Amino acid sequence: MTSEKEPARTGASRRKITVAAVDCFPPGARMEVRVGSAMIAVFNVGGDYYALYGRCPHQSAPLSRGRLQGTVICNADTGWKTEWAHEGEVLVCPGHGMEYHVRTGKAFGYNLKLRTYEVVVEDGQVKLVM
Amino acid sequence: MATDKQSVRVQRVEPSFNPVQDEDLDQYSDELSELTIVDVDVHVDDTLMFMLDYMEGHFRKRMETVLQADFKGEPGNSLRNMIAHIAWLGSSYDKPPRAKLATQKDLLARMEKGIIDYSILFPSELLPVGYLPEPEWAAALATAYNQYMVDAYQNLDGVKIAIVVAPQHPDRAAAEIDRHAAHPDVVSVCIPDVGVNPPIGDEKYWPIFAAAARHDLPISFHGIEALIHDNYPLRVAHFHTLMQVNSMGFPFTSMLQIMSVVCAGIPVRFPNLKFAILEAGLTWMPFIMYRLDAAYLRYRTELPALEKKPSEYIRDWYIGTHELEALPRRGDLVKLIDLYQGRDTTMWASDWPHLERDLIAGFMRYDMDDALRRKILGENALQFFGLKPRP
Repeated sequence: MTSEKEPARTGASRRKITVAAVDCFPPGARMEVRVGSAMIAVFNVGGDYYALYGRCPHQSAPLSRGRLQGTVICNADTGWKTEWAHEGEVLVCPGHGMEYHVRTGKAFGYNLKLRTYEVVVEDGQVKLVM
Repeated sequence: MATDKQSVRVQRVEPSFNPVQDEDLDQYSDELSELTIVDVDVHVDDTLMFMLDYMEGHFRKRMETVLQADFKGEPGNSLRNMIAHIAWLGSSYDKPPRAKLATQKDLLARMEKGIIDYSILFPSELLPVGYLPEPEWAAALATAYNQYMVDAYQNLDGVKIAIVVAPQHPDRAAAEIDRHAAHPDVVSVCIPDVGVNPPIGDEKYWPIFAAAARHDLPISFHGIEALIHDNYPLRVAHFHTLMQVNSMGFPFTSMLQIMSVVCAGIPVRFPNLKFAILEAGLTWMPFIMYRLDAAYLRYRTELPALEKKPSEYIRDWYIGTHELEALPRRGDLVKLIDLYQGRDTTMWASDWPHLERDLIAGFMRYDMDDALRRKILGENALQFFGLKPRP
């Protein structure tokens, strides 16, 4: 869930949008949700649900269609060696391959973070909170 | 925050491994469907296997041998992979595989959205033809490609073809132009500009320009990742990654060839011949124009054929927007275009369906007046390729 880190905007007026029944939204599945003109991509990664802004800021390709895989990292923690990491958690834009951490929306290699949304499970239904 | 009044639509989707049928045009369908849209750089599956039936004698035998080899698992094998990707095999592991080429059905499905009026087909497989050391083999490939493309893609609504020539064999290149120029679906001569040595302005290539001028067929230069070339600035040895080759190769080649053509006086000799540069982005255009002007002050006597300064020739060149640079501000594209005086020469190009293709949102994000947007999306290309607006 993304609930802890995403601050409530105006709690009273937020809308809960039913995405699917839990049974219909198993691990590995993803849903594309259009709310008005906005597009949200919702993923079930190993039983946890994540919702991200659904269009790549580069050229607006639909992120709901992106593959989930790992990526290469190279930083002080790896001793500046290139390593494969975050297997299954890196959303690859189907447009040109920009990569985002599905848990946080943070783009790899860019000073950029996609908006994330809270997802809750209530009465057997997966709901997007906007 | 979402209001209760907003409609909600939920759809289960699958990850896309095939960029061919993306939905980038649909986003702007309301805005674009009334306009004339010409996509001036479109590619279809033209891998070598399609050319086999158009080759004869020992070249056919040779093609059979090529098709038996397995370089990267790409269907029909690929000159592109043999030449351009072996060195960096798999370096773009995070991207969709190149093998997703567009079939005729894919192309027509994209056209049937009713947004794009014309797709101009450029070669994929033969873009590295300029590297090939044997003129006869290069010319045989070009001949086979052109006949295949005309047979397979003629008489399709809104589909037009750029034939390709092998510049290392100028006489055969001129003959190809003579053979296909009258075909109503052939709208340009593509010169793959990478690897061409000496540069394309050299006198040995003039029969190509003469033939194109004779038939009033515009010339389009189309680049490719510039590798395996002996000469600066395109030497593979300078670069350790494909990203660097891709970034420098297209614009460096374009600047090199524009400079070569203009300094050779070809626009003076063939004043009605139109030129376009594709797949090199836009940002380098002001550089080469005004850099040459600065040098022209000192070296004009080396170029006695020129009747005006270099930028006044280059500003007449058409240019495709792909691979459109992401400039930081929404007003920047118009500023750039004005710098190279390109309001009447800039043409929208997607490079669909290659993995580096531009989605139309990348162009639409820039602010500009409607008249300029119409020119770039279609009107300038109608002018360049000599096409009439479709009803």
